[in-house]
Amino acid sequence: MINPPKNVRFITTKRVIAVAAIGALAATLTACAPGASDSQSASAPTEALTGVGDGDITLTLTEAAAEVPYFEALGAAFTKKYPNVTVEVSGQDFQTLVNNAPRLISGTNVPDLIRLASFGKVVEDKLVTNLDGYAEAYGWDEWPQAQFDSTRSNDKGTQRGTGSLYGAGPGFGLTGIYVNRDLAEQLGSDGAPATLEELESLMEKAKGAGKTPMIISGPAATLSNATQNLLIDYADSTETVQAWNYNEPGASIDDENTVKAAAKLQEWADAGYFPTDVSSLQQADAVSEFTAGDALFYVSGNWDAPAIDKAASGSFGFIAFPALEEGGTTAAMSASDLQVIPTKAAHPREAAAFLDFVQTDPEARQITVDLGGYVPGGPADGSTPTTAEGSAVGDTVATFADLSSKDQLVEFMLNATGSMAASTLIPQTELLVANKTTPEEFSAKVQSDYVSQLSN
Amino acid sequence: MSLLTRAKTAEPGAESQSPLRPRRRTATRRWAGLLWLAPAFAFYATFVLFPLMQTVRFSLYDWDGIGVANFVGLANYANVFSQPELAASLINAFILIIFFSIVPVGLGLIAAALLREMRQGAISTLARVLLFLPQVIPLAGAAIAWTYMYSDDGVVNQILRAVGLESQTRPWLGDFDTALVAVGIIGTWVALGFCTILLLSGMGKIDPSLYEAARLDGAGRIREFVSITVPGLRREIVVCITVTIIAALASFDVIYVSTKGGPGYQTMVPGVEIFRLTFLDQKVGLASALALVLAALVIVVVLPIQRLGRES
Repeated sequence: MINPPKNVRFITTKRVIAVAAIGALAATLTACAPGASDSQSASAPTEALTGVGDGDITLTLTEAAAEVPYFEALGAAFTKKYPNVTVEVSGQDFQTLVNNAPRLISGTNVPDLIRLASFGKVVEDKLVTNLDGYAEAYGWDEWPQAQFDSTRSNDKGTQRGTGSLYGAGPGFGLTGIYVNRDLAEQLGSDGAPATLEELESLMEKAKGAGKTPMIISGPAATLSNATQNLLIDYADSTETVQAWNYNEPGASIDDENTVKAAAKLQEWADAGYFPTDVSSLQQADAVSEFTAGDALFYVSGNWDAPAIDKAASGSFGFIAFPALEEGGTTAAMSASDLQVIPTKAAHPREAAAFLDFVQTDPEARQITVDLGGYVPGGPADGSTPTTAEGSAVGDTVATFADLSSKDQLVEFMLNATGSMAASTLIPQTELLVANKTTPEEFSAKVQSDYVSQLSN
Repeated sequence: MSLLTRAKTAEPGAESQSPLRPRRRTATRRWAGLLWLAPAFAFYATFVLFPLMQTVRFSLYDWDGIGVANFVGLANYANVFSQPELAASLINAFILIIFFSIVPVGLGLIAAALLREMRQGAISTLARVLLFLPQVIPLAGAAIAWTYMYSDDGVVNQILRAVGLESQTRPWLGDFDTALVAVGIIGTWVALGFCTILLLSGMGKIDPSLYEAARLDGAGRIREFVSITVPGLRREIVVCITVTIIAALASFDVIYVSTKGGPGYQTMVPGVEIFRLTFLDQKVGLASALALVLAALVIVVVLPIQRLGRES
């Protein structure tokens, strides 16, 4: 380190000029706005064609790293049907993909299909293709339409659940509760509590037996999912939460049912039903803790089913979150393994053909269950994949079919805005179970954050 | 700067020899100096000044990173100070200074003094290597390792159980009271080696005769340490503190990998907040404003320390 001699002035003419120059440069840069100009617009495909083109075509698809084997199998099946099309699957860590997807599809080297967790601003920024034309050409508009609710958006991107179709996927995730059947039997139950009360009494019994009643996690967002389930139980309807999820104008979640749900979650935490590290438990660790056998319930979703079956098929079952009372409303959160076709994709027609294939072809639907752990949607008379007897995967398929037929599948509150999960629901539920916030404060904060995150 | 000063002082002397040639020589020397700087300055301008300029620009807009941007003036800066979570993250960053900076420097001084006392040999080399090893590991890797060590069945709780402190075991990163401290300790572990080695090398240049003189006057080890070693290490301590304070205020890797700012908002720091605002919230303008406020804070904290270090 060279110490400058004390007699050199700090403010010299050269320095003043330098600072002024930088200032002027900064001023000119600030004069023009960054980003796209307003005049950009994406055009819907002028000819919505079914089938694929001629010649050798390579369809590029970007997915989460964990799902690459699953999509490669889907791609291989697709190539069997259309030998001139090869599907090239590239994978990225899911969280990184979610962060980077908007940049990936707005730059160069854009894939033909890419996985998104939620739309964020991509519809507003006109980065994804409107699929209405393809939906009509392929007959998707004759299928049960509830499956497309979460992938519909109005053209401004301000409201979902209505408007044009912007994405589709081979299968659906589904939330629910895994049950350790062996442990349930020991506690004298069939492991399928039909009401909230039954669930609570079973947890109490498990606690008495020295087992962990319920494995649930803050960071993996299952605390939030449980809160959503409780909220729907108390409301005995999915209307309020769905309106809120889809950003309908004036939607509010700050009501007595949310407060009751938050209070119930806090009650369970205080009763010691949750693991001590509930606020730092990572998803991978949660699964292995559950399959080790010392816990009764595991709040999660069908994405964990293949791993759970691998650990011990037959010992673990899957149920929907029970309703408040017998015959009351319950629901499960379901999100599509959402694929979108970027506007800059090179082969939109083939991409649409792939989307149709994965939703309808029997082999593809079987792959979705076997390798993806998801449940395929598609037409009402779509082939039902075969599953192993008594397996967790089999249970998830059956539960999905049941809830779907009763129209009891809803969107995740976590996906209501781009950062609702990381900025609000995950930290706030952690504060709730640590008794650092009250149910009323929780409810108000979730609503106020929602409003500020949507404002632009 | 020193080149230009030299060029200036060269002028009067050279001019006495011959009017024309020295003037060209000093002009050439000036331009030559700038040419040598040019490549490094080009890098600096492209990778530091240009992004900095862009950040200033973005901070004046409400922009999601891709679409149309709306000019909002200083509204983003107002939000940085009014939104409680953003302000709280700045406070957490300052708390982390204790763990990332003050503790490593303090412990580093002691460790360096002890290492100096040790005879040169295998043990002293081994100690040095072990102390410096955390610096070599990528921060993210260190954070992952520590996440497992802090878990319910991790090393920390195992040790507590082994010494009979079962009641003190807890999920260190999931507990609201201990999360920030736990994350801070990861930073201490990483920075300790750096400070130790730096201070150790600095000790090498302290005149040994000072120690002899002190011993003759009857000074004990501690007195020697306080009156000779520490003042003699002034420059190294300033460097150490500067580097580690910047690391503390700008910290991202360790927190993002271990807690992502949780539980709740306990360990949220500006670095992670900026990341979240940019990629999840897609509020590039607000993120840029927070980044600039952070940069200004770093300068405000580091400059006085640099000044203090210069007094001699």
